Order: sequence, then structure tokens, then C-alpha cells
Amino acid sequence: MSPYNLLPRFKAQYDANNQEFSIAGVVRPQAIDELGPSLALLRDAIGRVRGVLYVNVRRLTQMNNAAFHAFSRIMIDACRARPDLKFVVITSSVVGWTSRKFGRLSGIEPNITVKQYDSEFYPGQGFLEEGGFVPILRTQTKMTWRHERTILPRHGMRPGIVMADICCGIGDFVVLVQKEFQPSRIVALDHSISSLDYARRVMREFDIRGIEYTYGDASEMLLDEAQFDLVTCRHSLQIFNRPELILKELYRICKPGGRVYITNEKNSHCLGEPRAESIRWTYNEVAKLFAHFEMDVELGPKSRRYLIEAGFEDIRVETFMVTNLDGDPQDFADVIVAWADVYAGDMATRRGDGPEFIARFRQGFQDHIFAALHPKGYAGWPIWVASGRRPQ
Amino acid sequence: MGSVHHEPAGEPTFEPMIQIDMEIKTFVSAWKHCDYVSTYMARMISQNRTDSVRHSNLFSSAFNELLEVAFRTRHADGELACRVSRHGATDRIELTIPCVPEERQFYQEAVSQVAGFEARERYLNSVSGDLAPSREVVLLELAVDYNATLRVEEAASDAIKLVVDLPLEGLQH
Repeated sequence: MSPYNLLPRFKAQYDANNQEFSIAGVVRPQAIDELGPSLALLRDAIGRVRGVLYVNVRRLTQMNNAAFHAFSRIMIDACRARPDLKFVVITSSVVGWTSRKFGRLSGIEPNITVKQYDSEFYPGQGFLEEGGFVPILRTQTKMTWRHERTILPRHGMRPGIVMADICCGIGDFVVLVQKEFQPSRIVALDHSISSLDYARRVMREFDIRGIEYTYGDASEMLLDEAQFDLVTCRHSLQIFNRPELILKELYRICKPGGRVYITNEKNSHCLGEPRAESIRWTYNEVAKLFAHFEMDVELGPKSRRYLIEAGFEDIRVETFMVTNLDGDPQDFADVIVAWADVYAGDMATRRGDGPEFIARFRQGFQDHIFAALHPKGYAGWPIWVASGRRPQ
Repeated sequence: MGSVHHEPAGEPTFEPMIQIDMEIKTFVSAWKHCDYVSTYMARMISQNRTDSVRHSNLFSSAFNELLEVAFRTRHADGELACRVSRHGATDRIELTIPCVPEERQFYQEAVSQVAGFEARERYLNSVSGDLAPSREVVLLELAVDYNATLRVEEAASDAIKLVVDLPLEGLQH
């Protein structure tokens, strides 16, 4: 059976609490009659609201002109009949045509405005994707790869598979995967244009083939369902305020029988000797700081629960510790320097932390670096790896 | 197929990528063929674009509109030919559609109007108007929203060939 027939092509709904009418999926009717219930729902919503009606088309993958005209017509008529009513159409930059097409409506009726949604979904991620963080991301991947290259085959990685790396960042992980495991196809998705530009530049410079970098929102991907043998999502669920939405999408694009592989941290378990107490205090504070920005860097041990609740089976969980003994201790120290700059810098400042707190906070990072570089020292950064199989 | 592909003098060479031919009777037997063909061809030709997924979505969106136009042909016989070729950032769709003489004239007039400077205004008027979008409006929208350029080329006597250039790489983000 064609995958087209497996799911309803589109869904319209109205959320009275948020005064939001949303339509999602592929809307390509031959005749407007096919849209009857959805159009009636929109008319009904207009009749109920006061002030602003939000029209959410973020997950609208396709809409033909016939349908666009039918929905637009209702909004335009409503503007003319009720000058008190405003429409805010919420599009997604991921779906390239929606902002252009719906954007025309504001030229017709000033009471219709179009807003591109995206950044709101990633409340704190901006801290981590500025250009200056790229070298440190590369170093982090280099350190975790030493462990993951032996761990991945236990979680479904093997040559010839079709895989996706969601929230791929600068793409260094998929480059390493391609060299080591030769999947037949890799799709790597991220919502950061600057990270993808960097990844594509690396791909060109090193003549790497077989990786398709794509811009997208992990919570509403354009990727078709059930097409990947393995879906990886590393260090990312922990920086989304709604990880269950991402997992739902990872599940959707994974083939039945395929696996979803996630890695996350429990930052408060970062450790070091000597100066263990200061290090422990600072990383406990790191967890609280991220929580302030709606990110859960304590998520690692919760991975099993998240995977079970998302519907996966055959859950496998393991941990590894990146340490100063993995390769060059200076690499470990460099990573901590970068963390300190962001966490005790921009993030702490934006939370409104005072100089006394920041000084103590920063000291813990310095002590972690001290432990990493000490000839008899030990410094660790624990990572939780988990994967689950999508049921057949 | 009866049509002959040629490049007008001075035009860059477009490299063929994929072609699908269907009996028009088969094509118009189910509306979902527009969706199937546009989605399939979009996926096939987008693999080596900078962002394959976004390109595929945009291409499918534009191409589906063209196929829906073709679907409404009044000519009962002949073959629908969909050919996609590429030059740099531009993808070219050549859609050969069986049509009756009046439709041939319609396409020629519609395409000449699309090229007019007032295309955007006429498109907006159509969106705010009461009537359901006509085939002409669909072609206008391709020019307005996808920066498409359109022209009509000679095909067999009972067919018309629409040539649509889509610079979608430039539309990303």
C-alpha cells in the first residue's frame, strides 16, 4: 500500500483556549466540498473569538491553490465583516512556500498579519549555536566519538543502513559515522542555518558525499514517516523544553523495527579530583541554570522513561564517561573553558546572577580544568546513551 | 511522443533529469495522480540540491499546481509528458499537455499575461476576489510566489508544451 493511504492527509482543529485554528498535513483537494468540515470549523472559530484568531499553518506541508483560496476567502470576508477582528497566521520557515503565500494576505487585508514561528521553540538554544561555539562542538564530538564508535553498533548502526541525524548541528558526527560505518544514505537535519552552512562547507572542502543536510524543525519535520533504519539525536532532547514532541517525530520517521538512538547528559554528575566539592557545587548550579531556561541537562537517566512513553520497545541504556584521560587532557580543558564562558557568562548574566555567585560558579569550572590538567588528576563528563526499537 | 525538444538560440543547456509519460486518460482517472507525480518527481530531482528536503517540498508545491492545471484538460486522448531538466540553480519543467484548440489559445494568452509587470497585483486581486482560482491564476501564482518564468512552446498539433523555469535554490530561507 502506498504510504499516502496510511494516514489522513490533513487535519484541522480549533483550540478555544488559545483562540487558535490550526491545519496540518497535505491539503490538495480536487473540489472545495472536500474541505467542508474544515471550512465550517474555521467559520465557527471566527464566530466564537474576540480580538485575535491565530491561524496556525506551521505543520501545513502542502496546500493547493484551490484550498488556499477557500481558507483565505473566509479570513478576508471576516476582516471585512468584523473590523475588530485580527488574524495572525503562524507559518514555519521550514516550509518554504507558506510564508510567501500566506504573506500575500497582509497586502490584501491589514488585519491579517503573518508571523514566522521557529525561534520560540528553542528558548535557550541560541546560547549554544553562536559561531564561537563551533570549535568546541567539534572537540566535544571528537571526545565522545572515541566511545560512541564502539557503542553505536549495539544500537542498530551498521553499514548500508538509511539513517537520519536530527539536530545534527555542525554535522561532524555524521561525517565520522559515514567514514566509519558507510550508511547508504544519511539525512542530517538542524534548525540552525549557520550550523548547516558550516556543515556544507566542510562537506565541500573535504569532498564528502552521501550526506544530505537539511534545514528543519525537529518537532515538525518534513521528512516522510517510516523511512530510516536508525535515527540519532544527540545531546539535543535535553535542550528542548518539550522533548516528548521531538521523540514523537523521531518515532514517526523511524522504520518499524528500526531504532532511535539518543544521548544526553546529567550535568550535576560531572566530576573531578582534586577539588571535588567545588566542581560538584558548580555543576549542580549548571543544572539549575539550564532549568531556568527550560532545558533539562539532567535528562540522561530519564532517557529510558522517555523512550518507553514514546512507544519504543527493547530499550537499551548505557553510560560512558568522557575523561581527561581520553586523548589530550587539554581538549577536555578547552571544552570546560567554553562551557564556563557561556554558562558563567551570557547565561548567568541573563538570569540576573550577581558577581559573587558568578565568581563562585566560575571557580568550579576552573577547578574542573585544574583537575583535568593535574598530573594525578581525574576529570569526567558522563553521557547517557539510550535507544529503543519502533515496534513492527 | 510527438514533440521535439529544442533550446532557443543563446539559452543555456538544461541537462535532462527525469521524465514521466502517462496516457492522459490514465492521468485524469484519479486526482491523486497530481500529488503522486509531483511528490515523486520532486524527491527524485532534489537529492543533490543544497537542502534536498526543502527543495523537494517547494518543487512539489509548484509542480502540483501545474499538474492540476493539466488535469483539467478537455482533450480526451494523447499523452501527458512531464520532463524536468536542470541548469545550475534553475529547474525546468516541460509539461506537454494534450489540449483542444481553445485551450491552446488560453495557455498562450495566460502565459503572456504572467510576464506582465502587473502580475503580482492581478494575483492579489484574484485571491481577494470571490471566484475560485482559475488556471490562469495558478500560473500567475507560480510567477509571483516561486519567481517562475513561463513560456509556451510548439508541440504536436493537439498538444501544448508549457515550459516553466523554477529558480528554487534562490528561494531557500
